[in-house]
Amino acid sequence: MAPAITLILGGSIVMAASLVLRQGVARNVHEQRTLVASVSIALLAIAAFLGLMRVTPPDLGQGLFRFDEIALAAERLSLLGGLILVLMSWSTAPKANLGEYYGCLLIIIGAIPVVGASNDLVSLFLGLELISIPTYILLGITKGDNAGAEATIKYFLLSAFASCFFLLGLSYLYGFAGSTNLQVIQTEYATGGKLVSFALVLVMCGLAFRITAVPFHFYAPDVFEGASLTLAGIMSYLPKVAGFVALIRVLGTGVGPEATAVVVPVLFVCSAITMLVGNFMASAQSNLRRMLAYSSVAHTGYLLLALTALLRQNAEPDVLFSYLAAYAAMTLGFFACLGEIEAAGGKTQLIGDLSGMFYRRPAASIGMTVCLISLIGLPLTAGFWAKFLVFMGTIAAGTRDPWSIAMAVLMAFNAVIAAGYYWRVLSKLFEKSDAYVPLRVFRPSLFVAYTICVVLTLVWFFVPAVM
Amino acid sequence: MTLLIPLLILLPLFVGLGIFLAGNRGKALVGAAVCSAGLVLVMSLMLVAQVYSLGGVSESQGPSGATIVPRLSFAPDWLQVHLPVSVGGHVVRWKLQFGADGIGALMVLLTGIVGLVTMSLATIQIKERLPQYLALMLISQSMLLGVFLSMDLLSFYLFFEAVLLPLVLLINGWGKNSEALHASRKFLLFTLVGSVPMVLGLIGLALNSAAADRDSTVSLPALSAIASTGQLAAVGSGVIDSASAMSIIVARDQWIVWLLLLGFGIKLAILPLHTWLPTTYAVSHPNTTAFIASVVAKLGVFGILRIVIPLAPVALSSSAQWLFGGLGALAIVYGALVALSQTDLRRVLAYSSLSHVGFITLGLMAMNTEGLTGAAIQMFNHGIITCGMFLMLAMIEQRRGELSLADQDRGLAAAYPKLGVMMVFFTLAGAGLPGLNGFVGEILAMTGMIRVSGFFTGIAVLGTVLGAWYGLRIVQRILFGSDGERAGKVSVGLTADIQTGEYLPLVAMAAVCLFIGLRPQDIITLIEKDIARIVRVSEPSVKATHPDMDELVAQSKP
Repeated sequence: MAPAITLILGGSIVMAASLVLRQGVARNVHEQRTLVASVSIALLAIAAFLGLMRVTPPDLGQGLFRFDEIALAAERLSLLGGLILVLMSWSTAPKANLGEYYGCLLIIIGAIPVVGASNDLVSLFLGLELISIPTYILLGITKGDNAGAEATIKYFLLSAFASCFFLLGLSYLYGFAGSTNLQVIQTEYATGGKLVSFALVLVMCGLAFRITAVPFHFYAPDVFEGASLTLAGIMSYLPKVAGFVALIRVLGTGVGPEATAVVVPVLFVCSAITMLVGNFMASAQSNLRRMLAYSSVAHTGYLLLALTALLRQNAEPDVLFSYLAAYAAMTLGFFACLGEIEAAGGKTQLIGDLSGMFYRRPAASIGMTVCLISLIGLPLTAGFWAKFLVFMGTIAAGTRDPWSIAMAVLMAFNAVIAAGYYWRVLSKLFEKSDAYVPLRVFRPSLFVAYTICVVLTLVWFFVPAVM
Repeated sequence: MTLLIPLLILLPLFVGLGIFLAGNRGKALVGAAVCSAGLVLVMSLMLVAQVYSLGGVSESQGPSGATIVPRLSFAPDWLQVHLPVSVGGHVVRWKLQFGADGIGALMVLLTGIVGLVTMSLATIQIKERLPQYLALMLISQSMLLGVFLSMDLLSFYLFFEAVLLPLVLLINGWGKNSEALHASRKFLLFTLVGSVPMVLGLIGLALNSAAADRDSTVSLPALSAIASTGQLAAVGSGVIDSASAMSIIVARDQWIVWLLLLGFGIKLAILPLHTWLPTTYAVSHPNTTAFIASVVAKLGVFGILRIVIPLAPVALSSSAQWLFGGLGALAIVYGALVALSQTDLRRVLAYSSLSHVGFITLGLMAMNTEGLTGAAIQMFNHGIITCGMFLMLAMIEQRRGELSLADQDRGLAAAYPKLGVMMVFFTLAGAGLPGLNGFVGEILAMTGMIRVSGFFTGIAVLGTVLGAWYGLRIVQRILFGSDGERAGKVSVGLTADIQTGEYLPLVAMAAVCLFIGLRPQDIITLIEKDIARIVRVSEPSVKATHPDMDELVAQSKP
């Protein structure tokens, strides 16, 4: 638990720092930014170090928390994403609330390992709420205008609504198994009937909100459009990781034949609709932020398909984690590039704003190109393996299961639709434009952030095993 | 284990990337690019020579019963992919391997020739951003060589997909300004529509190979060994009483075959999926088109020959063989008719290419010795001929601007006699004049098809007549005839007849055409062993699914 405790405690301390940070005229914003961000990175480093130093006992026990492979993977994903997000925030965090901003961010990053390690319904819910509450604050403090307020309220209400579903599902699970321990519940799955299926569908509804699955995706475009770029990056990644990790935790490695017969078709339908809605809506957007929001919805659809493979024991949770890692690198990298362009004075609201960006801001444009190629899923990038693994897991059952094959084909066609709108952005970057005004302001933190992402995207292609 | 194979793939890749990194450093880079293209040609000749001399390789090489056996191979132990998943209880640890058999070597040679010729002519024909153009050509050349030399499904697919990006950039960056963006997007999306579902088929093939006693593999020799034993056992030496075993295999493989054929069919521009082809050919620079039409368009044919026919012959012959054969025959006639009705010379050539690829499809779908040999040879021949035609188109356009078969441009033979000679030569080769290479491939493909279906062959023969018609129409309209309105009016660029630098590559390619036309046995010797191995599996499965095949042959016997 040490890394999570470090981050959550550290986050609380950082949050209190705004009490001592000097306000008013004498304030040196630049220095304060550097200070808070450095402290955050130091905390992340300590957490990573503690995570490396951890000695896992051979018997993992039955307690509230359980440090198996899933927990470790969730921790790695959250630390990786956290590092990139802190770097992205370095120059974009709201200067009025530096302490609160970083505090909340660190608590979210620290809460994901809690979700990942939880072996009990109570700790699972605790971890998820530990993510939700700082997210409300983050959304509220970064933008003071009406759009920001609307996004915050929307998110808050929908999140509370989804939590209700989740809790209802948990209560059924408890009522059925007589225990809040997930291992106990999972051993009872095999004997369970319709009640388990019902409970699981409720749980999935609750989590669908966090992973922006249709029909719980409505907030995403508004939040992405209303929030700052960095925050959009946070919203597209961290809740998704938490949601999927929680799903893996609850569903375990299979839920028994009777429940599978109900849950898998539900997941199929949900995944198909999520992909289709995500991709078709994204193709229709001219607003870059909304497009990214819908593309994040579409990726959720692919991940849900991977989840069905997991449920039928055709694949391991690693498929999902690999996808999430690749997703972190490519999406956060893309947001970081956009952030750099925005920090340098360019506009990034519409797709058309990026016209000719290669000639104005070459480095960021090359970064975006790599990320987009990875999002399309072409070789030489991590995105290729991400999709490949999902395909593999899905069709592993072969012709014994024609529906999986049909879903995989549907996903393949969706990937092509997605290629269409990513390509539109890509070609805009290299379009010859008259507005040949180089953007010269340099932000090292953002540059480092997207360099890390781009390098990871490329390196993971050659060594997919470390993803 | 030979180092020639990694060198062939990596040299153009590194030179290409190096030129990109070097930026604008003037002429030296151009020289380097053309030199490395020359080196690639030399190495591919060496490869062909080695493969040729190893022609009598014993069957014992590779797993027993394998239908794909590389004569040269490069498969170091470190070249493996370890994916963080286990599928069906098996850990995925795939060994990648590269290797060359006769068919692969033939395509490598084609890539080498076309690469050098197009790149050396590009130095004359491309005016802007020449080093970058050559760099992209080199990178795509490297990816293509990777496809032709790969001996496993995974690296095959990786290179197959990766070739897309440099090509899209080539189409986009050097095409006609107004339409380039649209055309490149169409090309990208069309190819992805085929190739992304295709990966499912490839995964399916790999997973089929997993059994209780072995992990899944992607190695083509191993897969083909598994496939051939399984399928031959099911087919049961041509008797149909094993229908149940066959129907199991058909049910297992059918979706794989359809997905693969969708991917390869789009690359092949099979009829309803062909619409990317005329747009791409007409919009990109003729020099780029020469490269795409002669090598890239062959990826689909090569894929069917390398993957679909050896690994899933039963499912192919029972489901898609008639459809694809029919579409191939239809493409021959349709392409020829549309070519006859077009006035834009670029589009005429594009549709004629469509028509010629129809012959290749026809040969492939015959799935017997003659058909497959014809398809493989025609793959090479068509590459050379199309490359020559598009390069000459580029030369004419450089001198006259946009060219149309309507009345303006006539009597060019008088102004450019050497160009005229070459143009007539390549047109005749394309029309399939005996003694030139086009004849060899087409006659073999038709001989193969007539054993399976007389009807499709009849359509194809009709196509050859139409092919001669539109070929001669080009010659008549452009080269001869009375001077048109713009006679003597020199529009752009060069005024004189082609220079030595332009002449030499054409003459060299013409010599290749003539050589193959007069002495086809050399090239047949190169590939016959590989074809024979594939046919050992594919012909019984055709016989089993179509018992009435060879009826024309049977009738003609007394």
